[in-house]
Amino acid sequence: MAAPDGICLEAVSKTFRGRGKTVEALREITLGCPPGSFTTLIGPSGCGKSTVLRIALGLESLDRGAVRIAGEPPASATRAGITGVVFQDAALLPWRTVRRNVELPLEVLGRRPADHRAEVAAMIALVGLEGYENSLPGELSGGMRQRVAIARALVTHPEVLFMDEPFGALDQILRRQMNVELQRIWSETGSTALLVTHGIDEAVFLADRVVVMHSEPGRIVETIDVPFARPRERGLFAETAFHRLTDRVAEVLHGS
Amino acid sequence: MAREGRRRWHALRNVVIVLALWEVIGRLDLVARGALPAPSEILLRLYRDWGEYPPHVMATLYGSSLGFVIGNLAAIAAGVVFVLSPATLRLFRGVNIAIFALPPIAIAPILTLSLSGMAPRVALAALGVYFVTMSATVVGLSQTDSRIADVIRAYGGGEWPIMRLARWRGAVPSILSGLRVAAPNAVLGSILAEFGGGGRWGLGAYLLGSLGRGEPDRLWGIGLVATAIAGASYLVFALLSNRFLGATRAVSLDTAAPSPGGGDGRRRARLPIALGSVALPFLMWWAFIVGTGVPALIAKTPYGVFDYLFLSRAAGAAQTRLLGAMAQTVPITMVGMAAGLGFAFLLAVSSRLFPGFVRGFMPVALVTQTMPLVALTPLLVLILGRGISLTLWVTISVTFFPAFVTLAQGLALVPRAALEVPRAYGASPWKEMRMVAIPAALPYLFAATRLTVPRALLGVMIAEWLATGKGLGNLLNQSRGYLDYGMIWSVAAASVLLSVAFYQAVVVVERRTLSRLGMHTAE
Repeated sequence: MAAPDGICLEAVSKTFRGRGKTVEALREITLGCPPGSFTTLIGPSGCGKSTVLRIALGLESLDRGAVRIAGEPPASATRAGITGVVFQDAALLPWRTVRRNVELPLEVLGRRPADHRAEVAAMIALVGLEGYENSLPGELSGGMRQRVAIARALVTHPEVLFMDEPFGALDQILRRQMNVELQRIWSETGSTALLVTHGIDEAVFLADRVVVMHSEPGRIVETIDVPFARPRERGLFAETAFHRLTDRVAEVLHGS
Repeated sequence: MAREGRRRWHALRNVVIVLALWEVIGRLDLVARGALPAPSEILLRLYRDWGEYPPHVMATLYGSSLGFVIGNLAAIAAGVVFVLSPATLRLFRGVNIAIFALPPIAIAPILTLSLSGMAPRVALAALGVYFVTMSATVVGLSQTDSRIADVIRAYGGGEWPIMRLARWRGAVPSILSGLRVAAPNAVLGSILAEFGGGGRWGLGAYLLGSLGRGEPDRLWGIGLVATAIAGASYLVFALLSNRFLGATRAVSLDTAAPSPGGGDGRRRARLPIALGSVALPFLMWWAFIVGTGVPALIAKTPYGVFDYLFLSRAAGAAQTRLLGAMAQTVPITMVGMAAGLGFAFLLAVSSRLFPGFVRGFMPVALVTQTMPLVALTPLLVLILGRGISLTLWVTISVTFFPAFVTLAQGLALVPRAALEVPRAYGASPWKEMRMVAIPAALPYLFAATRLTVPRALLGVMIAEWLATGKGLGNLLNQSRGYLDYGMIWSVAAASVLLSVAFYQAVVVVERRTLSRLGMHTAE
């Protein structure tokens, strides 16, 4: 029997009600991410792409449908430490040092940080922050804070990694640099990754498959495979084949 | 740095000018034939009386510190429980509002009747700090960065891990600033209990003993010492909270919208909880009487008060006296409050136009906030006499300062960019104020009104008790003299209910107005 999909959503629907207004956030979302694959979810703001991620993590309830993370319901998958997550904001605890922030998931999962000292150090090294272990988040730049958040997401060796616009607040130059680094880190961990973004080049550069969503109601309109070989280099951003594919994604994104 | 230094210099210069003016006025006996002694005269008197102070100061410090500790422990524990279980918060809403709104002066006599020794002072000090610290704890704990809570939930962490890992540490500055406000309250509570409950030692007892002797310099001395104690306690926690603030602020702005709470399933439980929240204060009152074991003749249960006012033979007379007193107290409270709030509103809003003035004025406002009201009132009696103007001034002064501080601090939170948008289109300062500053100040005006309702009632009752011989304050004092226990409890209950009703009325108007304007209530 083959391993279950890393992420599996079946006909997930969700409607928000509030202030006499109902918004159909998601309609019949079906999405399967094979183990070890990298999927990006792209769409206009308000199309419900972040809601998909929050539902998959069990942070949001769903009206209809089913969710399985590595074959388990979200609640038990998160509690077992199978998942890791990075949000748009680094969301670091301002009073904890870099190391203690990276240790946070271990503490939530009831593991003793002292037993995982080597992994914590390795993760901080992986994101290139050696020497900053004892710095407070307020002393770091935006890009560095985001790298702490990535180290935090990886410290539990997650089978499934969720990222919600992790580089949304960074400038274009830093963003490309982080894309290259994220690919390197991800390929070293071998996890199933789902990245929510509204950057087309970022989506194409990182993904095996780009899933395009439209809004009102939030739905998947097309899935585009990305054939480029890995590891992908920075030069890919300038290639014609790359641009042809980004144009194609933009076309689907804007509808026709 | 140079600017900071200059500002300090300006503040110092202003203080020196005020003191010099005061000295001249005092020396020449310009105010009410010597009712306002010069600072040097007060200090000289303080120096001569110095031998008498230590036992009084120690007694007040003892009562207020013990009450401060007990009240705050209870408040923080309650705050944690309330955040973990919102249903409990709703159930205790009635108790919380009653504790917030009760005028301490009305409770002092009944605490003295039912408890003995230092207990009434400790209890009143504890009651004085409970609400402030409890709400600071709840606000601090629930203001946790929602994104951090998401991270913890994403690893399957429930409410308790969120509380332990994120909320608790994040709430420290808020709790400390609550303690800062609570500290002078504990001193005020202890002094009020000493004042309303007798006893030999304590600054309140000392003040009471010195009232009849017509020595303004001595009264001022006691008032200054009381203010110094309250102010020092404020300062200690102000310094502490400044130290903690830096490492707690989120490094980026949390823009996530607050999620609407309360599902459909909970709606059914809403009515029982609302009824329970009304019944709980009365239950606790009743339990307090049973628990202390004071005879029914002296300590009245809720039923005892009902019996006294409606069923007993003297019910008619008692009702007439109580209603008569309320008819005197309520209008003056409202007028004083309206004047104090209006003045504070105008000043705070126009502070956008004259920021320098406010910077100079703020320290004065903060000092007067920590000045214990009982110590202030006899001084005002000396200056203003015992007429209606005294009551009015006391009410305005107790309303004005906290309202001004709330409004000015609230306005300071309005983003500069929002205030500057109209200016970018060439609006005049007045137009800018009308379009941005005044609407932005509205939530804080309501918050200030809620905050000052009990203080205004307390101010009026103290003035009535000490000076004017009218209204609820006077009725309370009289009934103490006549040993009319039924009336003492009735006045206490009536003034608490009055204060709660006032408060609730403000809350209703606030919710209506702000929700129509799409604004949030300010804390």
